[in-house]
Amino acid sequence: MDALIALIQNAPGAANMSAQALHNTAAALMATLMFTVMALCAIVFTWMERKVAGFLQNRYGPMRTGRWHGWAQAVADMLKILGKEDIIPAEADKGLFVFAPILVLLGSLLAWAAIPWAPGFVAADLDLGLFYIFAVSSLVIIGILMAGWSSNNKWALYGAARGAAQMVSYEIPLALATIPVIMYTGSLNTQDIVIAQQGGLANWYIFRDPFLFVAFWMYFIASIAETNRGPFDMPETESELVAGYHTEYSGMRFAFFFLSEYANLFLVSLIAVMVFLGGWWAPLPLLDVIPPALTFIIKGVMMVFFNMWVRWTLPRVRVDQLMHLCWKVMIPIALICVLGSGIIQMVRG
Amino acid sequence: MAQYFADIYEAVSSVLKGMRITFKHIYKKPVTLQFPDERQVMPERYRGFVHNDMTKCDSCNICAKLCPVDCIYIESEGKGKARMMTRYAIDYNKCIWCSLCTENCHTGSITMSHDYDHSVYDRRTLVYEFMDPTQETIPCHRATRIDMGWWVEPKEDKPKPKPKPAAEAAPPAETAPAPEAPPPADDKPAPGTPTPDDDKGVEN
Ligand code: SF4
Ligand code: SF4
Repeated sequence: MDALIALIQNAPGAANMSAQALHNTAAALMATLMFTVMALCAIVFTWMERKVAGFLQNRYGPMRTGRWHGWAQAVADMLKILGKEDIIPAEADKGLFVFAPILVLLGSLLAWAAIPWAPGFVAADLDLGLFYIFAVSSLVIIGILMAGWSSNNKWALYGAARGAAQMVSYEIPLALATIPVIMYTGSLNTQDIVIAQQGGLANWYIFRDPFLFVAFWMYFIASIAETNRGPFDMPETESELVAGYHTEYSGMRFAFFFLSEYANLFLVSLIAVMVFLGGWWAPLPLLDVIPPALTFIIKGVMMVFFNMWVRWTLPRVRVDQLMHLCWKVMIPIALICVLGSGIIQMVRG
Repeated sequence: MAQYFADIYEAVSSVLKGMRITFKHIYKKPVTLQFPDERQVMPERYRGFVHNDMTKCDSCNICAKLCPVDCIYIESEGKGKARMMTRYAIDYNKCIWCSLCTENCHTGSITMSHDYDHSVYDRRTLVYEFMDPTQETIPCHRATRIDMGWWVEPKEDKPKPKPKPAAEAAPPAETAPAPEAPPPADDKPAPGTPTPDDDKGVEN
């Protein structure tokens, strides 16, 4: 934010702006930027998902729209979705039905505020940054529950109930896995976490100690479950629940869910990069020429690819297996990681 | 407790194995053919749409009689030497691609082509007319065909019943075109019929 304010100050005609005006302009600019990035990542990642799925299965994926590897397919799909009729079921609870997609989108959009893209370039430089991210992304659960419940549809309600159970459960290992990192940094500020990882690959938190390595994988698995993606896509299992909690949604409202899913995917990938994989720092001194924001985004996209690779490899788990994995396996392991990493820090002094 | 850790080990190792397998597939060349641009080369004996070469057919009706679903319509006018074919149509709605017609055609004019992409909006258009009676009628009698300069089946190529009944020794009619009677140039199949050119596209 400070970097952005400085940038605006140097722009022609901004010299005599008051501090408040400067701040407001910067905030508006940042919000627009975030929303654009979010919309863009939904478009890019739907295309990428289909290409990755294709190549993993010896196919091509979309090839026609826009000549080169069907790059315009996602744009065409978005336009199609915008042109669709907006249907609200007669028996649905209209208020909640309309509000739910907005809440879901809001939950993922709010969390973006605390992502540190580059040194000084973070929309909200909060002391409780990481905590804030986990807190606001829980809004998504409420949105999903509202969507499923208000649709007045069996499938939607099942999907929403599963989604709520799954996301509430997996938030615990997700947050637990980041606790060793917070103990190392001594701060919840997202910028501080990244700055503490300066100095190449060996200083990234994932390689600091063996417990953190395990914690990273705990985080990764939990993040897949948080974004409702395969193999944990219980809330929207198309083979049994049609489309889960968004069965009754169409047109623009459906696009909101879609947008939020891919924005969340990128968000959890960016958090993984920020917390465990060195944030904007390049892995080798050689690669320092790349701008920090670009390094950060490249790493994030690689994590997204990894996510897709998992999705298109592993079969969906059962609901009971999902809960077993969370409560009986991942939470104990995450707790051991916290303990083990704490002891190592104590020994190292 | 031991089972618990064994399960975790098995889960992790099997996930890694699966991930390795799918990753290998990224580098493999996709098997997809971009259909309208690239086409699969059909096997030689592929049974595509039935095609009739109207320059050879002499309306003997063998195919129409053999067809188990009666989907070949042949109409002719006149008798004896003056018999003229006025219609030859195949209804692909009915055809079951059994190939009985092609195997028994004595002139070898009806064949199974390698065509398969004939999607249409109206199934009535799947009745293919192979000749346009307003343009021309086709002579049926051998003598008339020779008189009018049409292709006839070379006599000497027919398997002789006396010396040896080796039917397979008879070469297909196409390989020995009659030199004295080349097909008339203006005898184009009626519009909408699959032309031999279509087959070239199939061969890619
Ligand atoms: S392939 Fe069989 S069904 Fe089709 S036209 Fe020939 S004989 Fe009739
Ligand atoms: S069997 Fe051959 S020659 Fe006889 S009518 Fe049919 S296509 Fe023509």
